[in-house]
Amino acid sequence: MTTTERDPFILDRPTGRRLRARDAVICVFVAAVLLVLLEGRSIRSSGDKMEPGVERTVVRAVGAPAGWLADQLPLADAVHSATAWLSPDAKLTGGAGSFQTPPAGVDAAASRAGGAAPITEEAFDAAALGEQPTRLAKLGTLLVTGDSLAQPLDVELARRLAGNGVRTIRDAHLGTGISKTDLVDWGQLSALQVRQRRPDAVVMFLGANEGFPLPAPGGRQLQCCGPAWAAQYATRARRMMETYRRRGAARVYWLTLPLPRDAARQQIARAVNAAILVAAQPFRAQVRVLDMTNLFTPGGRYRAAMPISGRNTIVRRPDGIHLNDAGARMAADAVIARLRGDFDSLR
Amino acid sequence: MVFPTVQFAVFFPIVLALSWALMSRQQIWKPFILAASYVFYSAASPTFCLLLAGVTLGNQAAAKLVHRTEDERRRRLIVGIAVALDLATLGVFKYYGFFAEETNALLDKAGLGLPLPLAAIALPVGISFIVFQAISYTVDVHRRLLPPAKTIDVALYLSFFPHLVAGPIVRAREFLPQLQGPRNPRQVAVGAGVALIVIGLVKKVAIADFLAREIVDPVFGVPQAYAAPDVLLASYAYAVQIFCDFSGYTDIAIGLALLMGFVFPQNFDRPYRALSFREFWRRWHMTLSRFLRDFLYIPLGGNRHGKLKQARNLMITMVLGGLWHGAAWGFVLWGFVHGAALVIENLFRGRISPPAWLKWVLTFHVVVLAWIPFRAPDLNLAGSFLGRLVEPGPATLWTVPVVAVVVLVIGLQLLPARPMDVLRVRFERLHPAALGASMAAVIVLVAATVSSQGVPPFIYFQF
Repeated sequence: MTTTERDPFILDRPTGRRLRARDAVICVFVAAVLLVLLEGRSIRSSGDKMEPGVERTVVRAVGAPAGWLADQLPLADAVHSATAWLSPDAKLTGGAGSFQTPPAGVDAAASRAGGAAPITEEAFDAAALGEQPTRLAKLGTLLVTGDSLAQPLDVELARRLAGNGVRTIRDAHLGTGISKTDLVDWGQLSALQVRQRRPDAVVMFLGANEGFPLPAPGGRQLQCCGPAWAAQYATRARRMMETYRRRGAARVYWLTLPLPRDAARQQIARAVNAAILVAAQPFRAQVRVLDMTNLFTPGGRYRAAMPISGRNTIVRRPDGIHLNDAGARMAADAVIARLRGDFDSLR
Repeated sequence: MVFPTVQFAVFFPIVLALSWALMSRQQIWKPFILAASYVFYSAASPTFCLLLAGVTLGNQAAAKLVHRTEDERRRRLIVGIAVALDLATLGVFKYYGFFAEETNALLDKAGLGLPLPLAAIALPVGISFIVFQAISYTVDVHRRLLPPAKTIDVALYLSFFPHLVAGPIVRAREFLPQLQGPRNPRQVAVGAGVALIVIGLVKKVAIADFLAREIVDPVFGVPQAYAAPDVLLASYAYAVQIFCDFSGYTDIAIGLALLMGFVFPQNFDRPYRALSFREFWRRWHMTLSRFLRDFLYIPLGGNRHGKLKQARNLMITMVLGGLWHGAAWGFVLWGFVHGAALVIENLFRGRISPPAWLKWVLTFHVVVLAWIPFRAPDLNLAGSFLGRLVEPGPATLWTVPVVAVVVLVIGLQLLPARPMDVLRVRFERLHPAALGASMAAVIVLVAATVSSQGVPPFIYFQF
């Protein structure tokens, strides 16, 4: 007995003429060939962006020749120019401000001088020395950014600060990282964010997708997660901090990574956290490093739940990397406490 | 694996070509498609494949046992145990965390320090759909509507990749007969399949994701920051987003299945043109409403024992239907609103007869209103969202594209189907190469609208 007899209203027999199976295969392969010619580069770059594994290997195996073919023909460029107006994003790889271009500011000055950069008073957090830190009057615009770690912290902060007249800009870029510039170049993105939004404060929570090789001077590739890799990572992070602090006009709240459950990822997280601390050194007057490692993983041990208001509560998502809503509330508590210390309007 | 991704674009042409190449040799074709479906599912997490295999084997064992048993009480016991185990699987993965937290809160209030252990349990993708289909197979065998199928057929039924993660909920007696022999290679609805894939892609990527990014996510995330005009538009926009997201997925799933020679049931039929809630549920997520009707509402007694019991059965069905979407009070409230609307409608059916336009306005707006707790992260924020509906202020997110898309999608549902059908039939008549070229063109255009964040998962993946 077929269902057509029992449920005539629901089984919608397809309309249109019937073709051969060969036609279905031809149709799909024509689409596939055209996509290779027009989007071959996207296929190649998608493979490069993926996490290591079988899927990545297969996509890269297809993407390499597809990308090569697209490179040989002018079609891809023509199509991309014609459809660029549809894209909701600014171009965020390569170009001005990119990590690929030489940095400006403290590091560059030091390298030109051929010696250590002079230590300025900005390297000290006045509060840590028992002095009153320079407070800013009003928190008008708060930028909450980073990768997937920034969610749902961004929503939590936006909700809790909405009553204080704070305009919270939530700008998470999922799947991105400081050590991978093919999707988003954070050097360029941070400059763009500051230019467009001019935030009074920036909350940065980034590091779920790190561990990719970083280029070193001389064209070498530094593998994660030794001191050389951490130094390169810190250099990039420092450049972003320099951008976000807007020469002292803004405050930056950079969250360290709570240790993930996976041991291999823990190694990356430790290197990232060490790099963040070093990166912030010259700007302690404006850049606050908020310790999420000890808050969520005290003693360097992963835990999914922890006591909140006397009740054991799950604070991590099942993936063992991200914070869930309860965890985000805890992280938001820490951020807001530091914001209150820096902005008169939040007191 | 998600449909609108490069991974799937690599996976599908290979599987399609091999599927038709092997179709005439069923003893090879079935293991091949089964393996392909498990590869598709393992992209989410390889360990979930063990769960899928476990559900398959457990239900197959129960179906065979129930088929061999003559004693009706024993048959009921076997099917009861199988369904309970299926629901327990769903319960552990989907509801344990919610149940433990709510129970602990209650124990805490009562001053009892006996908390249930907490665990962050990963939700296997598509578990709700897999479990419902497994139940449909076992119960249909129990009801003698279907003999037990071969184990490989049952495994294919539950894992067939086009419907694996978000439906439509295909009934065993719809799918298993299609496995009884090779699909006819001279009767493939290529045009209809491609048309559905193209429409689905546009709905999901160009409409649903666009609305989510531009208005729905910002306003539902922080309703306090917006005034009535934005909140009002966001509530209509979410109604459009969830329709385009879910029906887009279904369109792609049905289209892919058609290219492989299989027919899936229809899941949506212009739901926002409904003039009543009864009609809405015949047009929205039709395979779920059919499942709830056949496996919950009718076994509860349906409309057989008077108005009062019918009202009770409707409320139970709709509240549990709401809870099926996830462990949150917002889903319960959504189900309650729909249940209450159906009960009220039942009470007044035949007594008053308002004009059609008024019926539409009432039905549509209660549906939109019910989406608010469904989408809001929690009931507090749903309340806050509703409160902002009467807060005067500027319209900061009203842009021409957003308003145009919302009006267009709702408006198209109100128009007669025929002009659109004519267009679709014309498209379906194109030469296969032209169909392929059209599909590529749409994919290129749709891909251009994707933000650097990539394509967000389909909303119903989380259910």
